Amino acid sequence: MLENYLPVLIFMAVGLIVGFVLLTMGGFMLAPHKPDEAKNSPFECGFEAFEDSRMKFDVRYYLVAILFIIFDLEIAFLVPWAIVLEDIGLFGVLSMGIFLGVLVIGFIYEWKKGALEWE
Amino acid sequence: MTFIDLNFYFFSALLLAAALGVIASKNPVHSALWLVLSFFSCAALWLLLEAEFLGIVLVLVYVGAVMVLFLFVVMMLDINIEEMRKGFVRYLPIGALVALILAAQMIWVVGPIGPDILDDESLKQAVRHGADYSNTKELGRVLYTEYVLPFEIASIILLVAIVAAISLTLRRRKNTKYQTPSKQIQVKRDDRLRIVKMDAEAKE
Repeated sequence: MLENYLPVLIFMAVGLIVGFVLLTMGGFMLAPHKPDEAKNSPFECGFEAFEDSRMKFDVRYYLVAILFIIFDLEIAFLVPWAIVLEDIGLFGVLSMGIFLGVLVIGFIYEWKKGALEWE
Repeated sequence: MTFIDLNFYFFSALLLAAALGVIASKNPVHSALWLVLSFFSCAALWLLLEAEFLGIVLVLVYVGAVMVLFLFVVMMLDINIEEMRKGFVRYLPIGALVALILAAQMIWVVGPIGPDILDDESLKQAVRHGADYSNTKELGRVLYTEYVLPFEIASIILLVAIVAAISLTLRRRKNTKYQTPSKQIQVKRDDRLRIVKMDAEAKE
């Protein structure tokens, strides 16, 4: 089975080499490297930066993120099920039906609760 | 040492180095990126164990979703790095204790004094399969039939996670003003307009 993943390994190795070679060639060997104070300062359309880029986040951002991850996991459960659907027959369909049904309850709950609305 | 062993040692070393980078780097963004690398090398290790579905799900769910969200938050959140580094000495004893317990547990399981689980024949050496073997198929065959109860429990746990996330973080703002288009359309003339009969004003 592992021989199927040899191309992936070669791809990773080639990607790593290309990245390293290009960065070292471009960044250290070929390009002129003369930093000064003006070049290293943050540039924002010509004027000084108004404020820090870090800020307080609305907690609802996390809510959307967590809900996304939960349904992402649900999709991950669907993949092996779809592959073996012919083998597991009606029982498999029913077990996935219950699984999806429980999650649909959660989906209806969050919809009705207004967790998906941004106001 | 075979080529597979070589890969195993490479990715294990990468995993350890990346995990060290997570806890050693001062910048939280760098920590998150190291964590992405450690997830990747962990997925490669799982692939070497022929758990291809789990490995790819690890990349998909953790690297693709969880870590990207993490990274967004870490990049944007105002974390004062100096402030965070202050408690190092204070939390050192607790951290050292937890690390010690973890190390003791690992030595107990793997080392020579603990139970002999590594001598169990079924755990010794995984059977290598051919090119047409699909781990995802094998997983699917048992997950939805033999292990149907844990599978349904997983859905319950996800449901609990949905409810918990909503009840913990959903805050309704009282003072937000928003439009309801259906109400705007349904409004009648009588709701808005009032005709007041008045006598014409006489000229003085």
